[in-house]
Amino acid sequence: MPSIFNLIWSKEIREGLYTWKGLVWLVIASILFSFTSYLLLTNKELSLLDQAELLWLLSKIILVVALLIVTIDASMVIATEFEKETAESLFLAPLSIRDFILGKFLASFTLWLALFIVAVPYMLATSAGSHLAPAFLGYVLLLGSLGVIGFIFFIFALSLLYRSSKSTLTTSLMLLLAFTAPALFSSTLKTATVATTISKINPIDNIFSSLDNVLVDFQTTLSQNWQFLFPLIVFCLVTFVFLSFSISVFRRQGIIRNE
Amino acid sequence: MKYLCATVIVLSVSAGVFLPHATNAGSTPPLELTILSSRTLSGTAGEYVTVEGQVKNTGQVTLNDITTYLSLVDQENKLPVDLEDWSAEKGLHFDTIAPGQSLSLIWKIHFIKAGSYSLIIVATAAGSEVPQVSPITHFQVAIKHNLNPGNILPVAFGTPFGVAFLLSLLGYKRRKEVEA
Repeated sequence: MPSIFNLIWSKEIREGLYTWKGLVWLVIASILFSFTSYLLLTNKELSLLDQAELLWLLSKIILVVALLIVTIDASMVIATEFEKETAESLFLAPLSIRDFILGKFLASFTLWLALFIVAVPYMLATSAGSHLAPAFLGYVLLLGSLGVIGFIFFIFALSLLYRSSKSTLTTSLMLLLAFTAPALFSSTLKTATVATTISKINPIDNIFSSLDNVLVDFQTTLSQNWQFLFPLIVFCLVTFVFLSFSISVFRRQGIIRNE
Repeated sequence: MKYLCATVIVLSVSAGVFLPHATNAGSTPPLELTILSSRTLSGTAGEYVTVEGQVKNTGQVTLNDITTYLSLVDQENKLPVDLEDWSAEKGLHFDTIAPGQSLSLIWKIHFIKAGSYSLIIVATAAGSEVPQVSPITHFQVAIKHNLNPGNILPVAFGTPFGVAFLLSLLGYKRRKEVEA
């Protein structure tokens, strides 16, 4: 007999993956990757871009698209249960909040895996002829997963507190933008102490820096990237603590909150 | 009369002080710039060519602080071109060149964009306000026709179609399940 979180997960997947409109973003993402790969490879042929830099740029695009998609999905997936008032009937079943969150988490995480699978042919084609293909695929998967997990935890925590998809989505997108914009600054703009400190704790910055370390500087072992992986793991832990706090607030308030 | 005398003295002194400089400002340094590579270089965008030249001190005294640099003009648009992507080495500097001494100049040029260009080497030296220039080298850069850079085309076209096909299959399966 499938566990309850499995049922929630498969329900979300069926809703999302079995309809054209639910997954058309995946086709658009693949067109975006096609266009980007073509453009980057054209520049490489003109010797304007070396292969390592090409892979670094492509990996950044893949991960930003993934974080954007997951942010939008995660902002909706819990909050809409409250807005459509389906949460009440859901919790009438023998369903724990833990199963509810785990099922929703797996559904959002699956979107990232689906996007990663779509990106694999592009990653293989662009890294052909170099020794970087395994590191490229491995680190995009690892860093993307850590980033996505942290963001999902944070967004779910917000959803339980806000219970409004609009507020959750707005806040989450602003947070994503706040993390992404400084990460796109050049290294010369990050020399001040404040900028360096923010850069060290910013998860997106750590993802980009680790990719740079792997793909441009060829530092491919986990120990050589620990300085970037550690802040990402801390980010996931902090957001998990925030989610745990939101769950305890939710339990205290109950499904129907008296505003 | 007193003012007239003073004015004459000031003008004479001014002429004495400034005239020699004014004469120098109008002269080019005694440098001869020769192009050793072909005067017309052709290639396709993305390729590299080497421009070789020579700078020679044709004067009687040692020249100091000699800087040689490239100037590239787009002949179709009649505009100077920013050399940022075209050449990693913008200029070559020499502290001194002795009388009669020749030094070689080598630039690796990266053809960035298709078109017709003209290139000159410019040389300046300390104490000369007017630079010396070389004869023109013509670049004929052809466009690079490659519709399949890095063999990406099958992936670039195939993946979106593959994803769309897979989604259609899933949609079809879903409809069948609903009908059943």
